[in-house]
Amino acid sequence: MIKKLIFALSALTIFSCQSEQELKTEQYFAEGYQIYTMNCANCHQADGKGMANLYPPLDGSKIIRDKAAMACIMRYGMKGTITVNGKPFNRPMPANAKLQELEIAEVITYVNMKWGKDSTYTPIATVTAALTACKEH
Amino acid sequence: MRSFLNIGYNKLFAFFVVLGLLSACDGGNKKLPILGERDWVTKTVDGKEVTDTIYNVIPPFSFTNQYGDTVTEKIVENKIYVTDFFFTTCPTICPVMKRQMVKVFKEFKDNPDVMILSHTIDPEHDTPQVLNKFAKDLGVEGKQWQFLTGPKEKIYEIGQKSYLSAAQEDKTAEGGFLHSGAFILIDKEKHIRGMYDGTTEEGTQKLIQGIKSLLEEYKK
Repeated sequence: MIKKLIFALSALTIFSCQSEQELKTEQYFAEGYQIYTMNCANCHQADGKGMANLYPPLDGSKIIRDKAAMACIMRYGMKGTITVNGKPFNRPMPANAKLQELEIAEVITYVNMKWGKDSTYTPIATVTAALTACKEH
Repeated sequence: MRSFLNIGYNKLFAFFVVLGLLSACDGGNKKLPILGERDWVTKTVDGKEVTDTIYNVIPPFSFTNQYGDTVTEKIVENKIYVTDFFFTTCPTICPVMKRQMVKVFKEFKDNPDVMILSHTIDPEHDTPQVLNKFAKDLGVEGKQWQFLTGPKEKIYEIGQKSYLSAAQEDKTAEGGFLHSGAFILIDKEKHIRGMYDGTTEEGTQKLIQGIKSLLEEYKK
C-alpha cells in the first residue's frame, strides 16, 4: 500500500515537473517573440534573415547556440567583425541595458527554438552565469 | 519605438488630412495635392485684384554624397524624387525605413525621372566614406539613390523648414537623434506632393502609387 502511494506520488511529481517545463517553454517562447519583435526585429528582421550585408541573420547562424555569447551581446552590445554564415558583418550592435535577465533568457529561448535546434527553454541561470562572466572581463 | 517630433506635428497632420479630403472631392481627378504652408499675394492686374498662391518650394541646397561629390538641387532638375532622414547607427526606425526604401528603389530602378535622396542627421559620424559603405552593404550602387551629408545646421534646416520633416539631435532619444519616419515625395517644380509613413508597408505602397501617378501627370 505504502509502496503504491509512493509510486503514485512520484509519478505525480514527474508528471507535474514535465508539464511545468512545457508551460515554461511555451511562456518563454511567447514572451521571447514579443521582446524580439520590439527590440531585435528592426535589424535582424521578423524572419531572422537579417538585412543584406548590414545586419547578420540569426536563422542558420551557429553563434545563436552559444548562449553565453548571446546573453552578453544582448546586454552589452558588440563592436568589431562577426562572421555569420561565411559573411563578415561589422556594424556595432547597441547595448540593451534595459533588458532583464528573464527577458534575455526568453529571447534566447525564442531564437534557438525558432531558428536553432532547441526544443526547451533556456533558464535564467544560464543568463545570470554568462552575464557575471562577461562583466568580469 | 517610433520617434516622431511632437511639436506642431498634430497641427501639420490635421492640415494634411484636410488637404487630402479636399483633393478627394476633386471628382475623379487623382492629382496629388501640393503640401506645405502657403502664402497668398494680391496683385492688381489691369485694374482687377488677382490673388496668387505661393506654394512651399524646396530651396537650393548643397550637400556631399556617398562618393564625395558635391550635390546641389541641379541633380534633381527635371526629376521627381523621394527624400528621407536617417543615420547609419540608428537602432530604431531607420533599418525599417531603409528596408522599405529598397522596395521603392527596386520598383523604379534605372528610371531616369526618379531619384532618392537620403540625408543623414548625424553628419559628424556619417562621413561620405561611412555612407559609401552603408550604401554598399545595403546593396545600393550607382547614383540614383544619393546618401547625403553636410553641415548639420543646413541638414536640420532643410528638414524642418522645407521638407516639413522633423530632424534634430536629442540625447534622450534612443541612438541620440529624433527624426520622423516620413518618405517625402517632391515633384519637378520642387513642391511636396506627398508624405508617407516609411515605417510601414502600407505607407510604402502608397508612395509607390504616388510616384506612378506623378509620373503619369508629366506624361500628359
